[in-house]
Amino acid sequence: MIKATKQKERPKPFLFPEFCKACGRCITACPKNCITFGDTINPKSGLMPVQIDMELCNGCGLCLSACPEPYGLMPQVDNHEPIDPKTLFGEKNSTASKAVRVPDEVLPLPDMNPLIIKGTYASAIGAALAGCRHFFGYPITPSTEGAELMAKILPELNGVFVQAVSEVATVNMMYGCGGAGMRCMTFTSSPGFSLMLEGISYMIGAEVPGVFVNVMRGGPGLGNIAPEQGDIKLACRGLGHGNTYAVVLAPSTPQEMLELTMLAFQLSFKYRHPVIILADGYLGQMTGKVNLPKEMVKPGLPDWAVFGDEAHRANLICSIELSEQDLEQHNLHLMEKYDRMISTEQRADCYFCDDAEIVLVATNTPSRMAKGAVEELRRAGIRVGLFRPISLWPFPIDAFEQSISEARKIVVVEAGNGQLEDEIRLAMSKAGIMNYLPIEHIQRYGGVLPSKQAIVDQILAKEVQQ
Amino acid sequence: MSTVFYQTFERHAHGAGLKGHATHYCAGCGHGLVQKYLAESIEELGVQDRTVAISPVGCAVFMYYYLDVGNTQAAHGRAPAVAIGHKMANPESIVISYQGDGDLASIGLAEIMQAAQMGLPMTVIFVNNAIYGMTGGQMAPTTLSGQVTATSPAGRTREMGQPLKMAELIAQLDGPVYVERVALYDNKQRTRAQRAILKAIRMQAEGRGFAFVEVLSECPTHLKATPEEAEQWVKEKMTPIFPLGVKKDLETEPWFAMKKPNHSVQKLMEVIGANKKKTPTFCQAFPEQIDSQDIALKLAGAGGDGAQTAAMLITRAAINEGFDATHIPSYGPESRGGTSFADVHIASEEVLSPASPTPHILVAFNAPSLMKFGPTVQPGGTILYDSTVISEVPNVQDDVQLYGIPFTQIAADLGKVLVKNIVALGALQAATDLMPKESLLTAIQQALANKCAMIPLNEAAFESGAEALCLEMDRRN
Ligand code: SF4
Ligand code: SF4
Ligand code: SF4
Repeated sequence: MIKATKQKERPKPFLFPEFCKACGRCITACPKNCITFGDTINPKSGLMPVQIDMELCNGCGLCLSACPEPYGLMPQVDNHEPIDPKTLFGEKNSTASKAVRVPDEVLPLPDMNPLIIKGTYASAIGAALAGCRHFFGYPITPSTEGAELMAKILPELNGVFVQAVSEVATVNMMYGCGGAGMRCMTFTSSPGFSLMLEGISYMIGAEVPGVFVNVMRGGPGLGNIAPEQGDIKLACRGLGHGNTYAVVLAPSTPQEMLELTMLAFQLSFKYRHPVIILADGYLGQMTGKVNLPKEMVKPGLPDWAVFGDEAHRANLICSIELSEQDLEQHNLHLMEKYDRMISTEQRADCYFCDDAEIVLVATNTPSRMAKGAVEELRRAGIRVGLFRPISLWPFPIDAFEQSISEARKIVVVEAGNGQLEDEIRLAMSKAGIMNYLPIEHIQRYGGVLPSKQAIVDQILAKEVQQ
Repeated sequence: MSTVFYQTFERHAHGAGLKGHATHYCAGCGHGLVQKYLAESIEELGVQDRTVAISPVGCAVFMYYYLDVGNTQAAHGRAPAVAIGHKMANPESIVISYQGDGDLASIGLAEIMQAAQMGLPMTVIFVNNAIYGMTGGQMAPTTLSGQVTATSPAGRTREMGQPLKMAELIAQLDGPVYVERVALYDNKQRTRAQRAILKAIRMQAEGRGFAFVEVLSECPTHLKATPEEAEQWVKEKMTPIFPLGVKKDLETEPWFAMKKPNHSVQKLMEVIGANKKKTPTFCQAFPEQIDSQDIALKLAGAGGDGAQTAAMLITRAAINEGFDATHIPSYGPESRGGTSFADVHIASEEVLSPASPTPHILVAFNAPSLMKFGPTVQPGGTILYDSTVISEVPNVQDDVQLYGIPFTQIAADLGKVLVKNIVALGALQAATDLMPKESLLTAIQQALANKCAMIPLNEAAFESGAEALCLEMDRRN
């Protein structure tokens, strides 16, 4: 009796010959020497599968554990006859059920006093209001205070703060957490952002959302910790390797740090795509009045996430497409997303542009200096306006075209060597704007911002000359 | 065959032909075995639905073709970081990071070290075959001394480093609870490998901690050997360098638990310090005696003088009064004892330029600050400086009022030098009438809401500063 039962528990091996790679691992595993290298070529695999002498086999199962192929040696069930694998394995790929999207909930906020906080704090609070409960980051001045606030508030919200071993690890933690469908973010500054670019390319490829707040500082290299706008090219043109773009938002006040961070999460999940916020060191440190919004978000769970539960078991987060055809299709899919972003996510703020003969273009903190300059120059009777792109990518070219309709020249004010100017030129050229307005610039570098006075002086000097 | 394998490998060349049921591994490759044991363990523990497997870069890059679990494919070396992201996203998920030796022991050293040191319950399967398989047989960190590879054609020399023993390295750390090195070269080793993989996943499922299994594996292709010869090579050449066995096995109780994220409105408002309490206002109008719409201040001193705190208080008071205000610190050196200055703007409508290169008001706590910024103060502006430590005064522009007040001395007389910045605020208020003193005192009270005991001292400091200024004015008149 006992023997019979035991026999039953020890089924003999069974092999579809076409799935045998003839490695011979089962041969050395078999204590009974039942298995030998074959001598006939299998027409399907072109290999010579092993042969098993069932007479000698005692069903010890050792060969089963030695076969590296999932559909190689398998236990024989009653009266197993070789049948067509298609019928045996069925058509269905996975038994996992289909995931359903759990939608976000919008919760109304009571009327609160405005907060008096610095830009990085405003951004962190914006993230919390957008439902972000997962933060990954590496300390780097001048962005760290945002991370510090997250380290303080997230544990109280049962959230997670992880100080990663590097920026490289940070972005990959975001890849995992965002891939699991959670709203996660980081604060970083220029050198750290450079390190994250590879990972951002992977996120774009694998369509993983996540929000990066880059509080830009002076470069190149270690540079300094003062404000610069030297990462516009990285964010708009250089998000790692491959055909990569992402929405790039540029706040100019602590209030916008909060609002644009909230928006960034919304867009990131809308498009299943990372979103970049470019702030500058000045703005990150600047304390100001920040009004709380009317609503906050309680996030749901997307259907595509690899969350680690039954509903999401069939999902895959991956940026590999091995065949050229597949990868081309995937690129076309991404480009379709970019087109949608370009047509719907342009944002800008125009200040006295309607009748402006001179249109200043500036973003982040320099746009505040420029705004001050506009006021002063207007008082001096010069028709100056300010065009402030809020989305640097996609560049708000439609609004820009309107704002320069009366202009005779454009003056780009930036803390950098023309990276914003390049975006304007490229956007104009792509949009076929051919009116060839002269483009001048007022630039400072290395952590120095163009001052209001410098803007006023330069414009006055030229106007008087004319 | 395990039910944790897909019924057809749709992702392997769209499941066409034999590829629908065969792996992409070379004949006799150890990867196939390890993944089979993984599938069997996942099945045995009943955790298929909860499992997230992280595929690496290397020959195992396509592990997601085969395992019917949640799958994420990671960048080279970063699987442990990705695994941390997954585990944090869903603490109930069973996260398995699978990596080869180039991936884990070379480019990804930092990530595996951090994951192991953090010690979150997760399972790392490290397949060590002493070579880079996918890129074509180059030297790996685990390549044996003398071993010939594509990038060590004359054998690995001492200058190229010695083989890296990951299991021992990981076992040194406090984070992991279970570390074992196993092999695949005979029935006995394979049984041990199966058990180790099962245990490493069980340790995670039970919330006990970080488990690491190093598997010495065969790469017959790049050893240029038959699978049988490769098995012998691992046994004879690798195991003396990489001794098999349990490196660490702690008796730990299940400890890992995380609460579900809290999305309650009330809690969030509390945590960010938002409130509805009405703050009283005292200002009748914008202080137009200083500027009609935008007042620039600069407060400067050494780190620790409290210039930033004073700037913060002015900003808060102005915002309480319904004006727009900004404060920008000169960051960096301030926390390291160098000079520290703060630019503050108060505007009736909107602060346009938040920097104060030519302030209306300067408060200087030390001599270098006064020398540097004194001359930048606008004609008609006001300078207050600490006469306890400053004796020399620079040339200033026309009609600038200079007041030397012994901030430090007054604060010391009150028993706490630290409040010299509040003394300065009192003097500032008295000298300029920037805002009613109640506005500033309210801001001080708000800032000290959690340190109420400090309020009387600060109020006294403020009053003393104001008095000292009035005395100085009387003296001049
Ligand atoms: S089950 Fe045992 S005896 Fe039978 S073929 Fe396999 S290894 Fe040999
Ligand atoms: S171990 Fe499997 S693949 Fe290798 S020879 Fe035996 S049956 Fe064939
Ligand atoms: S190259 Fe080596 S490690 Fe890679 S699949 Fe082939 S045998 Fe396995």
